[in-house]
Amino acid sequence: MVLKLYARKFVSGGTAIVALVLAEKQIPFELVEIDIQTNQNKTPEYLALHPFGQIPCIDDDGFVLYESRAICRYLCEKYPDQGAKELYPTGFKERALVEQAASVESANFIPYVSRIFRELLFKPLEGQETDQSSVDEALALLHKKLDAYEVILGKTKYLAGDVRVPSGTRYHSSCLSLELQEFTLADLFHLYAAPRLTDLGVDVWSERGPNVRRWWDDISTRPAWLKLRAEGVKGTTSTD
Amino acid sequence: MVLKLYGTPYAFGATAVVAMVLLEKHIPFEFVLVDLKTGAHKTREFRERHPFGNVPCIEDDGFIVYESRAIARYLADKYADQDHGPRLIPVPTKVQERAVFEQGASVENVNFFPSVLKVIQEKFEKPLHGETTDEVALAGYIAELSKVLSVYDDILSKQRFMGGDEFSLVDIFHVGTGPGLALGGIDVMISTGPNVARWWNDVISRPSWVKLQAEGIKSSV
Repeated sequence: MVLKLYARKFVSGGTAIVALVLAEKQIPFELVEIDIQTNQNKTPEYLALHPFGQIPCIDDDGFVLYESRAICRYLCEKYPDQGAKELYPTGFKERALVEQAASVESANFIPYVSRIFRELLFKPLEGQETDQSSVDEALALLHKKLDAYEVILGKTKYLAGDVRVPSGTRYHSSCLSLELQEFTLADLFHLYAAPRLTDLGVDVWSERGPNVRRWWDDISTRPAWLKLRAEGVKGTTSTD
Repeated sequence: MVLKLYGTPYAFGATAVVAMVLLEKHIPFEFVLVDLKTGAHKTREFRERHPFGNVPCIEDDGFIVYESRAIARYLADKYADQDHGPRLIPVPTKVQERAVFEQGASVENVNFFPSVLKVIQEKFEKPLHGETTDEVALAGYIAELSKVLSVYDDILSKQRFMGGDEFSLVDIFHVGTGPGLALGGIDVMISTGPNVARWWNDVISRPSWVKLQAEGIKSSV
């Protein structure tokens, strides 16, 4: 039975990154639209699938999974040999570097992006006023974190960086062969919400360093991503 | 060369998460204290290891990893053999079990951690900086955390631990923040529901955690 993706057509958040992995890995799926405006994500039937009542979740022939970053990892582990193969490498050192960069996204990037989103998008929808000083503070903190990204991306093309040992320490020979220069899940996770900030007129990128700008331009113009943004989430089955 | 763990010495925070994994897996390590009060984590030399200037990080025979949850996964995958205690992460070939593990890891990261952090910052960190705890705000944050833990109670009625039916890294990820709440008289980890209470008692009564609480983080060699 073809994989079911419970989500909406609009490309944002967890839906965006799961839909992108499905496209990058060429995995067929059926979209089951969940309308969060009418609280379809809070019905008992949906809560039985996702106890936190969020989107997306998947039903892969009876195996139900929620949390978009877990779904992305699962799809890569289930289909290692099709589509973009290097998204989630299997060697434990290479994997560690991807997990390190993925953790950087959740610890150093998304908290500030989410805060800006909350102020600019969700608060007005709830009838509350945007606190511009909170937006400015979050943006300033985000820019400080991106200074560290600038250093990392000066050494590697993508975020799952190479091995760098402080000067004076002997390189272990096996470390030198680790040069992950591929787009991985760690980069992909950054497309969770940040592209929407640009839509909302928040300038995250233009005054960042050349390495960060190079990386962001690269990942935000991947053909699969551009197609997804243009067309919305569309199932691959003929019923769509 | 023995593995080096750089971080803080207490049974609290992200360094404690990695220390518990090292103890559970019987991995020998040398502990290198990073004194946050003197800004040792923000020096240029330290930032060569950790570009964000945080703790912990490890150096494993020249291979550096930072971010506690990434370090934990690396250690569990590298020392997966039987001589190194419980697996703590499903084998890579068990794709569905790995997925349930990652689902739990994401729940901790996205649902539990931000909520518990707000409680910790309001209750403990503000007084450390000379500010007064806002009791109304704190009550709100505790209520939010309780909401998350009621969903935990539902999840834990169907599986024994937060990453599946085996004790795993996902459970360990909670020890950096959860145990501190009781010190402030906040008992949500055991009062929200019977399944959460059962699970939490299982986690904090592990000999590795009991040892860390008693002795702090020390080199094992």
